[in-house]
Amino acid sequence: MISLRAVSLVYPNGVRALDNINLEIAKGDFVFLVGDSGTGKSSLLRLLYREAKSTAGEISVDGIRVDRLRRNRIAALRRHLGVVFQDFKLLTDKTVWENVAFAMQVTGAHTRDIMRQVPRVLDLVGLSHKSRMYPNELSGGEQQRTAIARALVNNPKLLLCDEPTGNLDPANTSEITALLLRINLKGTTVVVATHNQAVVDRMRRRVVRLDDGRITTDEERGYYYLGLGESQVLSG
Amino acid sequence: MQATAVGTVAITIILLGLFLFVRGALTELGGKLLDQIEVSAYLRSDVTPAQTAAIARFLKQDPHIASAQFVPKKQGLAELRTRTKGAIDTALLTENPLPDKFRIKARDPDGVPAVAASVGRLSGVDNVVYGQKIVQRLLQLGAVLRRIGIGVIVVFFVVAGIIISNTIRLTVYARRREIAIMQLVGATSTYIRLPFICEGLLDGVIGALLAVALLAAARAALWPRLLEALPWAQLTLVPVDVRVLAAQLVVVGAAIGVVGSWISVGRHLRT
Repeated sequence: MISLRAVSLVYPNGVRALDNINLEIAKGDFVFLVGDSGTGKSSLLRLLYREAKSTAGEISVDGIRVDRLRRNRIAALRRHLGVVFQDFKLLTDKTVWENVAFAMQVTGAHTRDIMRQVPRVLDLVGLSHKSRMYPNELSGGEQQRTAIARALVNNPKLLLCDEPTGNLDPANTSEITALLLRINLKGTTVVVATHNQAVVDRMRRRVVRLDDGRITTDEERGYYYLGLGESQVLSG
Repeated sequence: MQATAVGTVAITIILLGLFLFVRGALTELGGKLLDQIEVSAYLRSDVTPAQTAAIARFLKQDPHIASAQFVPKKQGLAELRTRTKGAIDTALLTENPLPDKFRIKARDPDGVPAVAASVGRLSGVDNVVYGQKIVQRLLQLGAVLRRIGIGVIVVFFVVAGIIISNTIRLTVYARRREIAIMQLVGATSTYIRLPFICEGLLDGVIGALLAVALLAAARAALWPRLLEALPWAQLTLVPVDVRVLAAQLVVVGAAIGVVGSWISVGRHLRT
């Protein structure tokens, strides 16, 4: 699903955000990207949905060579994946339904498909009963569920989440993580950048750790901190 | 801000409209005057009929001359009387002061000086007069005016484009969250651009229509007075086709709007 080979990202101001990243993520995988703030988690995700352009290396997402992607093909790439952020990025003057439907409308979807698809994802995230409410009337967890519904409405094979629980209390956090897991079980590849140790340690999923723009560990059933808990094999 | 954009487009279009109108009229006028250049060869007062006949023969066989007409002094006086509409009281004249003349038309305007020179050398010809210099001055003046006009208009085009572009940029800025989300969920840049382009287009078209309306009003008010002040204008100034001009101006206004907004949204989408 995702393949990065010798990928580097140097921002125009000279900051080396990512350095020689090699990473393979299989279809249907659930992967945590962990690391302190500023270690390149968000930059890595931004490369995948082509918000940033790699300085060197090869990036392939769902068969699309993102590093070589022409500007006018970016929209097509984004339709293959969903992105969720810490700050939800909802339109406050649109209802839950409209926010979700918006993602289909801008791709030129038929009304018939929108009417069928929106209720389906709202049901999946458990917000059917609040579809007429505005983001400001919702809790943080509900807003994030709306954002997840929007990310999923075009049936992407890949869901990228950048600190999805960063603004949420523990109860909402576990609600969102449970939802992400459910989405993953339906076959969607999920990549979550987070520095929420509790979430990572509870889920016991693949954990890729970034330090200063480099991958330092990559464990199949990992913890937030290497070697915490059960016996961990240090692998290079 | 919107009003500024529309207003600037209107001013630009008004200038362009005036320019096109004046240019059309000048071209028309210049062409007409060039066509009308005639050489008047005045004969000496002591010219003999034999000399006059010889001159007429020469004029007939010169290939550079399209036509030559003998105007005896009597006819010249009558023409003067009608041309001045009685402003000069010819009854006061005790004798006709006009000489006989030949009215000569060259085959093409550029050949006029040569024709004038060759006719001037004939015996019995006193002097040769033609309006070439005046016409050339007029055409040169037209060319200078045209260059200045184009310069001013180019400046206004740029200014109008920048102002529209800034207006649209404000709208783009106000809707940047929406645009960011559109980009995120895979809206094409054409899809994102379209509403802004429409807004620019609207600004441009409204400005242009405003300008056309003002120009039409000004023309309706001033044209009769112009004709009154310059009676000859009626003959020489064939009015430019106003409907075609109006349509052209609206198209230009629309183009300014589209280009201005295209640039500002494009700049936003690339960052």
